[in-house]
Amino acid sequence: MSYSPSGIDAAIALLGIGILVLALRRDLILKLLGLGLINSSTILFLVSIRFTPDAAIPILPVRDAGIVADPLPQAVVLSAIVINFAILALALVFVMILVERYHTTDSERIESEVAAEQGGEG
Amino acid sequence: MILPLLPLSHAFLGFLSIAWGRSARATLICAFLFDAAAIGLYYAGSRWFGPVFVGGWKGPVGIALAFDPVSLAFLILGVLLELAVAVYVWREQRRPYFFMLLHALFAAAYALILAQDLFNIYVILELLTLTSFLLVAYDRRARQVWASLKYLLLASLGMSLFLLGAAIAYGYTGSFNLAEIRTGIAGSPDGPWIAACAALLVAGVAVKAGIFSFSLWLPAAHSTASTAISALLSGFVINMGVVVLIRLDSVFRLDLPLLVLGAVTGIAGAAYAIASLDVKRLLAFSTLSQIGYLLVGLSLSGGAALTGVLAYAIAHGSVKGLLFLAAGESSRAVGSTLIRDLIGGRRRIPTGVRFGLLVGILGIIGIPPLAVYVAKGAILASGKGGIDQAILIALGVGSAASFVKLIPLLRPWNRVRAPSRTGALWVLVLPVVLFAPLAVRLFPDIPSPTVWSGGFLWKGFATIGAGLLLGRFLLHRPLPLPQRIFRAEFGVLAILAGFLLIYLLLGGV
Amino acid sequence: MTRRKAAFAITCLLLTAALCLLVARSVHLPGGLGEPQYIRELASRTGALNLVASIYLDGRLYDTIFELIVFSVAVLGVRFYLSERRPSHRPAPIPESHVVRASAEALFPFLLLLGIYLAAYGHLSPGGGFAGGTVAASGLMLCSIAIGADAVARRIHRPSLERLEWALPLTIISLAIVPVLLGRPPLAALFPPRGGGGIFSSGSILLYNLLIGIKVFIGSWVVVHGFIEHRGEI
Repeated sequence: MSYSPSGIDAAIALLGIGILVLALRRDLILKLLGLGLINSSTILFLVSIRFTPDAAIPILPVRDAGIVADPLPQAVVLSAIVINFAILALALVFVMILVERYHTTDSERIESEVAAEQGGEG
Repeated sequence: MILPLLPLSHAFLGFLSIAWGRSARATLICAFLFDAAAIGLYYAGSRWFGPVFVGGWKGPVGIALAFDPVSLAFLILGVLLELAVAVYVWREQRRPYFFMLLHALFAAAYALILAQDLFNIYVILELLTLTSFLLVAYDRRARQVWASLKYLLLASLGMSLFLLGAAIAYGYTGSFNLAEIRTGIAGSPDGPWIAACAALLVAGVAVKAGIFSFSLWLPAAHSTASTAISALLSGFVINMGVVVLIRLDSVFRLDLPLLVLGAVTGIAGAAYAIASLDVKRLLAFSTLSQIGYLLVGLSLSGGAALTGVLAYAIAHGSVKGLLFLAAGESSRAVGSTLIRDLIGGRRRIPTGVRFGLLVGILGIIGIPPLAVYVAKGAILASGKGGIDQAILIALGVGSAASFVKLIPLLRPWNRVRAPSRTGALWVLVLPVVLFAPLAVRLFPDIPSPTVWSGGFLWKGFATIGAGLLLGRFLLHRPLPLPQRIFRAEFGVLAILAGFLLIYLLLGGV
Repeated sequence: MTRRKAAFAITCLLLTAALCLLVARSVHLPGGLGEPQYIRELASRTGALNLVASIYLDGRLYDTIFELIVFSVAVLGVRFYLSERRPSHRPAPIPESHVVRASAEALFPFLLLLGIYLAAYGHLSPGGGFAGGTVAASGLMLCSIAIGADAVARRIHRPSLERLEWALPLTIISLAIVPVLLGRPPLAALFPPRGGGGIFSSGSILLYNLLIGIKVFIGSWVVVHGFIEHRGEI
């Protein structure tokens, strides 16, 4: 039996890679890229969970024979994409502010410098 | 009918405050009046508060809103904190964008308490995350920005997990609506997807709700924000995660995970609070601990338990808001947030602020006539005995022990006349003090005779006494607690581990 | 790599793998649930041919409004949080080649027109306000590649831009609230749908699409221009 990868498998693989990038990479920009990967994977998951092969697009007039693809996940994904864009833009702005202050994008160095400024555990 | 107007009016006022520029503060008054009017209408029995499908669409396409006692409780808490924050920031110089963020925050919160649809909850939670993360970093100090960025990364990961769970629920039941999902689950209660779906949803919300392993961002974020924002976040916004958990609890059976997570959160929060050297961090950890209490209460089933949880949410929200405002004012008078500096400079703290601190500390450790005692009593009274009671009492001891460090702040009692913003404190002191008589009116479910009985009063005082003794004992023996876990890299690990824990507790594998 | 880091990495790897496997195991959909029931009803109620548009601009308009609030808060936030920083020292602009300038001149009006078309016909064919606004904004980016972002910013009237930033969301929210005054539930459609599949066949969806298109256009420009203007160095 041959294995044909579906959208869901791709989405889960991307999710795993994204989480690993977010967790393991020290560079802030790479963490944001990992977050972007996670967002894209959830969108792919949402769209492919109602996938039926040979479905018609949900724009009228629809040919009478056959199933119409489900328009609800597609509409919902629109909102998700815009929200992801907004969050990514703001996260980048904050990274810019941090870089201007600490002259590095390394999260561990920033963490140490912030802790040093605070004078140990607060 | 009026339900969607509640959040939309706040959004409208938010954009209006950017338009009006200099008189943006007036919008806060408009917002408060509108919300108070809404509560008044509700009590007048208006028929506008029925459940509604927005825009008239039914079925999976439409979005359902409903106003039930849970919504009412959090609406009251929201209006209280809205008034307190409005009074507090009245004299601060803030750009219009600040007011817009405040309005957007309240719009999101009020929309969340009405929401009955999973994707709607997702969008609103993202708006809530965004506005609170922007408000934490508002002053653009580097510490705030870093705490806030950590929060954003973890919260976005959590929300993505939530969306995955919502997608699975949609795939199997064909709808995002909570009621329809409940019907779908009832149709096939042993589906292998239910555990994964519920675990993803709970893990996603847990990041915002303040559950221990998921909310490692919380102490940093709540303690570096400015005073009014800390009060708002700890008093109100954190409860929004609990609202979603209440909704999810009605769809999936979450008793065991809630109990375990609540216990862990409560104990860990109390332990870190006892070990804190900074007053705002102490208050933030105390919030974690109280949320744990709430979750344990939520895991007990039964109507009276839910009423107790709602009463506790309002009580804790008011008391924590009061404490943050008072602590903020004290830090401003003394010039530092470290506890030893505050104790050293306590003669400079204005009297009104000291009084607020007194009421707040008495309130949160659970002294009888004040707010928290009534609510805690209600939850204890509906406990089923055994493990639940033991955990609840242990958490009560812990929260009393956490505040031993602040007691030296209250004596000696001298009058200090200094300009301070005590108006906001009074807004919150009154509900805390008057909670008991009001609670009987608002929550007829609370078993008052049991709560005020000799046995319960004795238990209450004994718990507080034990806590105070424990706190004194630990005062000079600092607990060796791992502090490295609050660094950025552990956040993701903790969320993943937490997800697996919830999955196992839900009976997966 | 120290031992602690290696242990951390391996734990992350195991936990992520566990998460992915559990999610994959639990999703065994036997070809979906078939055609959803509400498809036929959607078409008759809104008059729009694009069923996706009739969902997110009529049925789920509430979600879309919140998502627009998220977008507005983000755009205003980018402007606000970058405003305190000094604009960066600008290196001397590299003159772009004639090929780029000529193609930008040729493509820009076409892209604007395409954006307007996508937004206006969003209820009849794939597209909609978001797609149209993005396409038009990409036309503006093309111009800034060709003649420089500062030159483009000089030609845009800033006070009007700022006024539009709060006026557009106010208009959209008012449009949602206004039906209450007419005695209908809030967020109901303002203009009744007409059959026929023409451009005016679904009243309020067209209006929302155009407003969203302008909003996304302005918002994207503000965000990207903010990043360009305040770029710094490490």
